[in-house]
Amino acid sequence: MFRGLSTACSCRFLGVGSFGCWPYLVGAFGKVLKLIATRALLGLATLFAVSVLIFVCTQILPGDVATAVLGQSATKETLAAFRKELGLDVPAYIRFFTWLWRALHGDLGVALTNQRVIIDEIRPRFANTMFLAGYAALIAVPLAVGLGVVAAIREGRPIDRISNILTLMTISVPEFFVGYVLIAIFTVEFGLFPSLATVDADTSFLGRIYVTTLPAVTLTLLVTAHMLRMTRTSVLSVMSSQYIEMAFLKGLTRGRVVAHHALPNAAAPIITVVALNLAYLVVGVVVVEAVFTYPGIGQLMVDAVSKRDVPVIQACGLIFAAVFVGLNTLADILAILVNPRLRHRR
Amino acid sequence: MTLFGYKPPFTAWVGIVIVTVNLLVAVFGPWLTPYGESQSVAGTWDPPSAALWLGADQIGRDMLTRLIYGARMTIGVAMVTTVLSFVMGITTGFVAAVLGGWVDQLLSRLVDVILSIPLLIFALIILGVFGSAIPVLVLTIAFLDSTRVFRLARALAMNLSVLEYVEAARLRGEGIWWIMRREILPNASAPLFSEFGLRFCFNFLFVAALSFLGLGIQPPFADWGGMVRDNAAAISFGMLAPIWPALAISVMTVGVNLVVDWLLSIEARPSGAQAEL
Amino acid sequence: MTTHIRTSASGLPVDRPSASGLIVDRRELMAGAAALGLSSVFAGPALAADTPKKGGTLRLGMAGGSPSDSLDPSTYADSIPIAYSCALWNLLVEIDAKGNATGELAESWEAKPGAVEWIFHLRKGIHFTSGKEFDADDAIFSINLHRGDTKSPAKDLLSPITDIKKIDASTVQITLSGGNADLPFVLSDYHLLMFPAGTTDFSKPDGTGAFTLETWEPGVRVVLKRKAGDYWKPGRGNFDSVEIRYITDAAARTQALMTGQVDAVNRLDPKTTNLVMKNPNINVVRSRGTGNRYAFVAHRDTKPYDNDDVVLGLKYGIDRQKIVDTVFSGFASLGNDHLIGPTNKYFAADLPQRPYDPDKAAFHFKKAGMSGPFDLEVSEGAYSGATDCAVLYQEALKKAGATLNVKRVSGDGYWSNVWLKSPFCAVYWGSRPTADLQLSQTFLSTAAWNDTNWKRPAFDKIIIAARAELDDAKRKQMYFDAQKMISDDAGMICFAVSDYLDGYSKKVKGAEPHARYDLNDQRIAEKGWFA
Repeated sequence: MFRGLSTACSCRFLGVGSFGCWPYLVGAFGKVLKLIATRALLGLATLFAVSVLIFVCTQILPGDVATAVLGQSATKETLAAFRKELGLDVPAYIRFFTWLWRALHGDLGVALTNQRVIIDEIRPRFANTMFLAGYAALIAVPLAVGLGVVAAIREGRPIDRISNILTLMTISVPEFFVGYVLIAIFTVEFGLFPSLATVDADTSFLGRIYVTTLPAVTLTLLVTAHMLRMTRTSVLSVMSSQYIEMAFLKGLTRGRVVAHHALPNAAAPIITVVALNLAYLVVGVVVVEAVFTYPGIGQLMVDAVSKRDVPVIQACGLIFAAVFVGLNTLADILAILVNPRLRHRR
Repeated sequence: MTLFGYKPPFTAWVGIVIVTVNLLVAVFGPWLTPYGESQSVAGTWDPPSAALWLGADQIGRDMLTRLIYGARMTIGVAMVTTVLSFVMGITTGFVAAVLGGWVDQLLSRLVDVILSIPLLIFALIILGVFGSAIPVLVLTIAFLDSTRVFRLARALAMNLSVLEYVEAARLRGEGIWWIMRREILPNASAPLFSEFGLRFCFNFLFVAALSFLGLGIQPPFADWGGMVRDNAAAISFGMLAPIWPALAISVMTVGVNLVVDWLLSIEARPSGAQAEL
Repeated sequence: MTTHIRTSASGLPVDRPSASGLIVDRRELMAGAAALGLSSVFAGPALAADTPKKGGTLRLGMAGGSPSDSLDPSTYADSIPIAYSCALWNLLVEIDAKGNATGELAESWEAKPGAVEWIFHLRKGIHFTSGKEFDADDAIFSINLHRGDTKSPAKDLLSPITDIKKIDASTVQITLSGGNADLPFVLSDYHLLMFPAGTTDFSKPDGTGAFTLETWEPGVRVVLKRKAGDYWKPGRGNFDSVEIRYITDAAARTQALMTGQVDAVNRLDPKTTNLVMKNPNINVVRSRGTGNRYAFVAHRDTKPYDNDDVVLGLKYGIDRQKIVDTVFSGFASLGNDHLIGPTNKYFAADLPQRPYDPDKAAFHFKKAGMSGPFDLEVSEGAYSGATDCAVLYQEALKKAGATLNVKRVSGDGYWSNVWLKSPFCAVYWGSRPTADLQLSQTFLSTAAWNDTNWKRPAFDKIIIAARAELDDAKRKQMYFDAQKMISDDAGMICFAVSDYLDGYSKKVKGAEPHARYDLNDQRIAEKGWFA
C-alpha cells in the first residue's frame, strides 16, 4: 500500500518536522506574507462572489419580503403598497448595485422588515456567536487534540477505545437532542445550569460563562469526535513512516515519538479538520441557539431567509463567508508553517 | 476466527456484527416487522410492552417497526451520499493540490463560496429548481459534503505532493492521474478512511434535516434522524421514545467506525510501530 | 416546532399570520378539563376574585415572534407583537373573557337602525405617555392608518367603512357601506391601536397603555416598564415590569417554565401538556375551541376533486378522533368540515358530526369510479403536526381502499407557493371575530382566500342575507344552512379545532382562559399580578 515510500528514502526524520530551524522560518515568513496578501485579495473576491450568489439565490427563491411578511393577508393592493414602500419596485440589478455601493462605504443598510440598522442588529449577536464559539473551541480543541494524541500513543488501550466510542456516540445524535439531554440532566435533575442562555449587554463576563456553559458543552460534544479521530488517525498514519521507525530505533519512548516526530508531520489534516469545526462553531450553531434561546447570529439569518429580508441575509452571508475565508487561510498558513517542505515548495 | 485471510480483533468483530445485522435488517426489514410501516396501533409515546417492545412513537406507531424500516432508508441514503461525496471531494482535492497554481486557487475559492452560502438557502434553491425526489437529496448532500472532503483531501495531498517520491514521479514524467492514484491516494487513505466513517454518520442526520425541509425522504417512510426529531420532546419528561432511534444511529456509527479502524490497522501497520504495541 | 440541521442553518418556516382571530361567544371554560380530573388546571373564578397587588417582574417566555418584529402596527401578525402592543397601547374595543365586545378607549357605542351608521363615545381624560389627551382626532387618524393606500392586514376588515367623522372631541361617527351589527368586534382587531394623531415614527411608542418600552431587542426580548401613577383601568397594570423573552423552541419554553426561569409561557406542546400538568407549581390554562382550525383543502374545480363522491369519500375516510387523540393529545375538538368553532354562538350543534366510516368512504370512491392516488401536499410550515395528521389520514384511507400520497414540501414560502395553488394541501384557519367573517373570507365565491375553489351562488346568497338579518333565530338558521352546505359539499376537510394552552407559575394570578387569544387575550401583562 505504501509503495510510494520506497522512493521516499531520504532523511526526512532528520528534519524532525516541527518548528525546528530558523532559516526555514525566515523563508516561511516570506512565503506566508505573500500568501496572506494573495489570500486577502482573493478573500475580497470571494466575498464579492458570495454576495452576488446570495443575491441571485434570493431572487430565484419564490416570494419576497412583502409576501413573506404579509403572509395570508397579502392582497394585490397591500403587496403593491408594501413593495413600493420598500423600494422593491425597482429592478433587481439596480437594487444589488445600490446595496453594493453602500456596502463598500460601510453601510449595510436597514432591515426591510422592521427598518432596524443592520450593523446595530448584528453587532451584539455576532459578539454572542463569537463568544460561544470561542468558549466551545477553548474546551473542544485542546480536549480533542489532546485525547487524540493520547489515543494514538495508547492505541488499542482502554483510553483509546473509550474515548473513541464515547465521542462517536455523542456525535451521532442530533445536536438539539444533545441539548435536550444536557438540559434534562443539568437543569431539571441537578439544577446546576440554566437552560435559557439569555444574555444581554448588562450580563457580566462570569455571568456569560455561566449561562453559556450548557450550549458550549453541547457544541463541544458535537465537534470533539471529529477532531479527535482525525488527530488519532493522522498521527497513527505517519507512525509507519521510516523516520518514526528510526526514532524508535534511537530508543525514544512512544509518547515522545508521537509528540515530537509524528504530530508535527500529521498536522495538516488535523488543522484542516479543526478549521472546519471552528467554522461550524460560528456558522452552524443555529439549532443550538434555538434550544438554549441564545441570541446569536444564526437565528437572525434563518429568520431573514424565511422573511426574504435580503440586506440582512447579505450581511450575515458576508460575515459567514469572511469566517470561512479567514479560517481556511489560517489553516493553510499553519499547514505551511508546520511542514518544512511546504515552506519551500517550488 | 479469520475473515478474508485476516484475524480481526474483538472490537472489529463487534463492528462487523453491528454492520452486518444492520444491513440484514435493512434488506429484510419488511419481513421482520409485526406491523405496517406507518400503522398507528397505540397512543402517543406508549411505554414499551409485550406488543410494542420499544413502545410507540409520537403518533402511536410501533417504534421497533419504524426502526427496522428506517434502517433501509437511512443506511442506504447515507451510504450512497457518502461514497459519492468522497469520490467528488477526493478527486477535486487531489487535483487542486497536485496541480497547484490557479487550479488550486479556483477550486479552493469556489469551495469557500459554496461553504459560505447558508445551507438553508442552498436547500431551498435545490428544492425549487430540481424538486424533492430522493436522487436530488442524495446529490445535494453528496455535493455539499464533498466541499468538506475537498478541504481535507487537498490538505493531505498538499503534504504528500512535496515528498520526494511524488517529485520523483513528476520528474519521471508520470501523468497527474498516475501520481494521484499511485502515490497520493495510498498514502492519504488512512485519514480519508477515518473521515469516511464520520461523514457517513453525519449524513444520517443531514438526511433527516433536509427531509424535514421537504427534500428527499417522504412520509410515511421512516428515517432515524427524523424519528429522533419527531420524538425529541419526550426526553424532557424522561420518556425513552427518542432514545431508540438515537441509539440506532449511535450503534451503527460506532459499528462502522470500528470496522474502519480495523481496516486502517490492516493497511497501515508495517513494522516498527506495531512492535511498540 | 423543532428543526435541526447540523451544518449551517435550519428551515424555520414563517409563522403564518392568523389574521384577526376572535370569537364572539362564550365557550365552556374549564368544564371539560375538570371532567378529565386534571388536577392542576386553572381553578376558575376563585382566582379572579383575589385582589390584584402591585409589584414584581413578570417574565414571559413566548413563541410567535421573530427578529424582524416591528412596532409598526401594520406589520403585526403574531403573538409577541400583539402582546407588547397591548401593553403599550389600547384599542377602542376590548373583548372580555366570554367573548363579548366591551369598551376600552371607546366608552360606549350605539348603532342607528340598520347598523349602517355608528356612533362611538370615547373615554375622556385618558393621556398618552407624552401627556397629550386622547381624543376623536387620534381615533380617526389611527383607524385611517389601515385604510386607503396601505399594506395593513386590517385593510380588508375595514373596507366596508365609507366614512369616519368627528362629531366632537370625544365622539366619532362611522358609516358603513352596508349594515353590520358586528362593527365593534371589527374594531377590536389588534392592528387598530390608538396613536396620537400625526404619528409617523412608531419606533418610539407613545401610547395610553399601562407600560412604556424599556428595552427593544426583537427576537431576543422586549422589556416593558409600568408607568408611574395609577393605570386608568382599575385593578390592571400591576407588574412593575414585564419581560417578554422570545423562546421559539417548544421544549425550551416548557423547560424554562418548569424550572422557574420564566413565569408564564404560551403555546404549550399538546403532546407534553399532560406531563406539565403534573408539576405542582404550574397551572395550565386551556381555552377550549379558540385555537386554530386544522384542515386539508381540495380544489372543487380540479380533477378528481370536482367529483362529489370523491370529496365525500375523503371526508368519511379521515379518522378525526384518532388525529385529535394522538397529534393533539386530546386538546382539540373534532372538526365537522366547516370552520365555525364549537363554542361559537352560531355553531351548528344539530349538524351531525361526520364519523370515520371506511365503508361509506369506500362506497363513495366506488361510485366515483376512482380511489386515488390522491396527492396531498403538507408541510410543518403549514402547521406543526401537519405531516403526522397526513400520515394518519393516509392510514385511515387505506381501510377505505383509497391511496393517499403524502408529499412533504418546504415550509418556506408555503403560503405563497402551495396554499391556494395546490389542488389538495394542508391549511389552518384562525378563528374570526364573527361567523360572517369566518365563513365569508373562506367560502364566498368572490373570496380571495377561497382555498377550496368552491363557488356556490346559493351559499353566497345565504351569507349576504345573514349579514343584514337582525332576527337572531332566523340568522341562526341561515348560518346552520351555510355550515351544512360547506360540510357536505365544499372541499374543506376540517378535522380538528384546537385549544389554546398556556402554562403559568402558580404565583401568577389573573390567568384565565379567554374567548379570543391565549395568555388571557395576550393581555396577561396588563391583567395579571403576583400572589
